[in-house]
Amino acid sequence: MTLAPAHVAGVGMIRFGKYPADVTLEGMAVRAARAALEDAGAGLDTVDGLYVGHVFGGPVAGQRIAAQLGLDGRPVSNHENYCASGATAVREAWVALAAGLHDVALVIGVEKMTDRVAGGVRPDPGDLDAAVGYVMAAGHAMSARRYMADHGATRDQIAAVAVKNHAHSVHNPYAQYQKPIDLAQVLDARPIAEPLGLLDCSPISDGAAAVLLCSPAGLRRLGITASTPRVLGVGLVSGSVQAGLGDPNAEDVSRRAGEQTWELSGVGPDDVDLVEMHDCFTIAEIVRMEGLGLVPRGEGAAWTAAGHTGLGGRLPVNPSGGLLSRGHPVGATGAAQVCELTWQLRGDAGGRQVEGARTGLAYCKGGTVNGTDGGSVTTVVMSR
Amino acid sequence: MSTTTTVDRPFRADLLTLDPPRLLGSRCSACGTTTFPPRGFCPGCRSGAELETVPLTTEGRICSFTVVRQAPPGVEVPYVLAQVDLPSDEVRLMATVVGVAPERVALDQPVALELHPVGTADDGTTLLGYRFRAHPEEVAA
Ligand SMILES: [Zn+2]
Repeated sequence: MTLAPAHVAGVGMIRFGKYPADVTLEGMAVRAARAALEDAGAGLDTVDGLYVGHVFGGPVAGQRIAAQLGLDGRPVSNHENYCASGATAVREAWVALAAGLHDVALVIGVEKMTDRVAGGVRPDPGDLDAAVGYVMAAGHAMSARRYMADHGATRDQIAAVAVKNHAHSVHNPYAQYQKPIDLAQVLDARPIAEPLGLLDCSPISDGAAAVLLCSPAGLRRLGITASTPRVLGVGLVSGSVQAGLGDPNAEDVSRRAGEQTWELSGVGPDDVDLVEMHDCFTIAEIVRMEGLGLVPRGEGAAWTAAGHTGLGGRLPVNPSGGLLSRGHPVGATGAAQVCELTWQLRGDAGGRQVEGARTGLAYCKGGTVNGTDGGSVTTVVMSR
Repeated sequence: MSTTTTVDRPFRADLLTLDPPRLLGSRCSACGTTTFPPRGFCPGCRSGAELETVPLTTEGRICSFTVVRQAPPGVEVPYVLAQVDLPSDEVRLMATVVGVAPERVALDQPVALELHPVGTADDGTTLLGYRFRAHPEEVAA
């Protein structure tokens, strides 16, 4: 079944990075929201509802933001799916528009991490993985080691993901890192969870991103007559309990998320011109692209090293710099990916523009649950 | 002055027994799938068939591993974290591995279950958790 697409009337974000304590969660969200409203030429009075994705923002963060933004009194909901929280908020807004509940919905993804997260993110203390010393980096390190053994991939090929994504974000003014790095820097970086080092890991970041979504009636309310990029569909699946001793990099959860979004959007994998992929760690970009079926199984590392996933390559992945280089304020990432797809589909992406981009996919994978192949996975398909 | 005798106990009684030291799984009466930790349904067939709590084999091998060099505050590093396969039960679980230097750990290396103290309960009881130990002969080889 397909739902009506949501039109992206405007997007905005603040540069991701490490901000001082007086830059608050609410303040970052307000700045991103005002940028999106300005991009759309829309006033606050046009907004029917506010959807906020965050993880560490605490109770009713969305309502705290609304009270500073001037959306107090409006319907506000908070959405937590760990690193897929922002994309989940996009999904709920899309559903509300398609259902006819709202005509103009504002989505904000926001996170203030640098004053409350140290040493890396980990699962909820109630999850069994936490009891045995699991940290996110460890899971991806084990994935990388198995991937190298099973597919003959090299450490250098995996590190090439970080080199590529940092090269892309040289052209992204919203990226936390805007300087190129070379392979030796990735290989020589301080080890975090072997074989992965510091530059294989996305940073702990602060930031906010916002998206103004409209139904056709909402576009009329805003007086927008020009063509806008559209969200065709947003898939959402969760990890399933694994049995047996199969391939730990099977990424069946990614396969299911892809199949759902092709069905929801009417777009096929061959139509995708670019991907914003949840590269929380270098290896994650590789195995998730393979799980989606966008890169042949076992070839993702070699594809990266050969430049096939770089700008100008066969299928550009993370022209924004991805989580590795744009930064990863976890609840903001999904909304930032939609900002990037919007700029790409409008042809506004400057030095990181994917030429002729017509259709884009944004993928987030949030959290881990003991014994499953993931927490939540979202897949946003957009076209111009 | 009174003396109290305390007996060690599992940090979670649903996961392990102390005598003998075994992890507990659930086994499906319909398809034979074994899972750890024990679950209320069978992820293999989802038939709703009855599940039996069973002790798992203590012999495993390393499916993959990492040496954790950075962890949140309060966690001592480095440590070896592994996905351990229990081939005779077809169960995979995550656990730390000890008894081998980080640079000597290898894929497919045999390991064996061991229980170890992970904390102290409010009543002073020592709580035991699980981890795996590399076989000494494999380490020496
Ligand atoms: Zn069964």
